[in-house]
Amino acid sequence: MKHSVNRPPTPDEDDAAEGFEKDELTLREIINVKLVESGEKENLMELVRDRLVECGWKDEMRIACREHVKKKGRKDVTVDELIRVITPKGRASVPDSVKAELLNRIQNFIVSAAL
Amino acid sequence: MSGADGNKSSQTELSSQVFLDLVDSVIADVASECHRVARLGLDRDLEVVEEELRLSVEARAKVADPSNNLETNTKFVVDIFGQTHPPVASEVFNCMNCGRQIVAGRFAPHLEKCMGKGRKARAKATRSTTAAQNRYARHSPNPRYSPYPNSVSENQLASGSPGVAGEDCTVRENVKGG
Repeated sequence: MKHSVNRPPTPDEDDAAEGFEKDELTLREIINVKLVESGEKENLMELVRDRLVECGWKDEMRIACREHVKKKGRKDVTVDELIRVITPKGRASVPDSVKAELLNRIQNFIVSAAL
Repeated sequence: MSGADGNKSSQTELSSQVFLDLVDSVIADVASECHRVARLGLDRDLEVVEEELRLSVEARAKVADPSNNLETNTKFVVDIFGQTHPPVASEVFNCMNCGRQIVAGRFAPHLEKCMGKGRKARAKATRSTTAAQNRYARHSPNPRYSPYPNSVSENQLASGSPGVAGEDCTVRENVKGG
């Protein structure tokens, strides 16, 4: 399996998830590959982006980034730092409707991909 | 599908993972964008905003202040070559209509009078024009087809009731000619 297909796990990931054995990871990889190959990943990405922009989530994130930049001084900031700062808030503040819609689509895909 | 509960929950787990992946990608995008904006100084940062606020307050104070500088500025606009142009043109030249010496800045009003100004004179001019045209058309011996001097003279003659007098004159001339 090509590992390049997987993004490296973000720092905040639960240990429990990692404890789910390699089967889980392999399955995830498989799903990912299928998503990419079928083009569904692109569709989902576009959908997520649109929804998150619509509901103002992106603006909130950008404000949070700007706040952090103001604190740290704009010459010092790194991308990783910004990601680290906004990820927990970002994950938590996704509206439920958006989350539900996305999960639905993903589940349908998994089912239809006959896994 | 083998609808075992374990399968379903792992499915849910799986889709959650995929979802979080997607969200993480978007977060990374946003962070990258903000980072770029911050480093390039494109966004109005706190310091920059403060600086600009200060400058704009200064500028406003300057404008609102009714100091003498304002007058000189509006009267004499300096162009990019450093030349100043007085708002009223002061060159004198000859009017091509009546030949008088006119100040350039007063040329437009002069021309109004010279060629027939306003509604009244223009109406007169048209009447005299049509009359002159009639005259010209019926019998050509009028080499100088120049209605405007006529209207000028008519203006000078009939200042009291210009319309009637003018018409009378032209009518009479017509009759005389015919």
